[in-house]
Amino acid sequence: MSKMLQIEIYRYDPEKDAEPYMQAFEVPLEKMGMKLLDVLNYIKWHLDGTLTYRRSCGEGVCGSDGMNINGVNGLACITAIEGLKQPIKVRPLPSMEVIRDLVVDTTHFFDQYRQIKPWLQSKQPTPEHERLQTPDERAELDGSYECIMCGCCTTSCPSWWWNGDRFMGPAVLLQADRWIKDSRDEATGERLDQLEDAFKLYRCHQIMNCMEACPKGLNPTAAINHIKRTLLNRKS
Amino acid sequence: MVKKTHDLGSAHSGFKDWYWQRLSAVVLAVLLPGVFILLWSVYIGALDQFGLLDWLDSFVSRLLHTLLIVALIVHAYMGLKVMIEDYVHTGLRVVLIALMLVMMSLFGMWWLALIWAWGG
Repeated sequence: MSKMLQIEIYRYDPEKDAEPYMQAFEVPLEKMGMKLLDVLNYIKWHLDGTLTYRRSCGEGVCGSDGMNINGVNGLACITAIEGLKQPIKVRPLPSMEVIRDLVVDTTHFFDQYRQIKPWLQSKQPTPEHERLQTPDERAELDGSYECIMCGCCTTSCPSWWWNGDRFMGPAVLLQADRWIKDSRDEATGERLDQLEDAFKLYRCHQIMNCMEACPKGLNPTAAINHIKRTLLNRKS
Repeated sequence: MVKKTHDLGSAHSGFKDWYWQRLSAVVLAVLLPGVFILLWSVYIGALDQFGLLDWLDSFVSRLLHTLLIVALIVHAYMGLKVMIEDYVHTGLRVVLIALMLVMMSLFGMWWLALIWAWGG
């Protein structure tokens, strides 16, 4: 008989349930180094097939299984069971509309992402080979290219909770900064113009929940400050 | 919970607020301790009433005092404006911010009158 672990999961099916509820499960601790996603998979495959959540790569690269774990946002696939207080409480990402159980509607989040035009913009004719960067220029992108847009930071940000209709949120601003810093991009001015706004950018009050939440260990607050400093340098 | 973004473009307004809030914070950080040193000097008896008035009466003191009160009002206005914008999501927001601006301006003018009219 293996050791059992206690877990409570947020359940909500808008078509059937009047309101959300927490459902308790007992799952055997099958192997060392078990991740939270393994537990969810066990429940789905052996206990309750109706449990709904997103997952894909299972190794922290695709960003599908962002959820709120014991009150902190993170990726289920890289969150170890060891060290989590039991019963483990799993809820969907905060401040997003729930489609079902742990699956949230990310339409608005990715709509904001498209607004910053997250692609290389260049006025020069396409070169015959690669657009070259020096190793130093490439190193500028460290700390932002790793972002997988899982939404853990943005949905942990109180400024985004209160003003998410206009504030871009940490993930999108980190991505915006990634393109501002890119030596090959020639739309820096337009990008800064678009962000110079009391709500889109300056609603960040440096609460730093984003940094705490990021499963990749990135620092969106620093990226936002870099955008602010770049705007300052442009002005003065 | 929002599904669709209403992209109204950039208002090009955030930078100045941010800049003035930080500039006023630096002025406050430099000048406010002076006020507390004066108060403390009175409290420990190093400065009597006339000594304090001598300090406040001097031209440089009045200039610094003016700078302090302007920075204080700018800083309070910017900070409270951001808080109102954060939490008040109706048209009431505009009214509240405008009301605050008028009241703080009045308070500032009254204080400036006190600073410069003192002792004639």
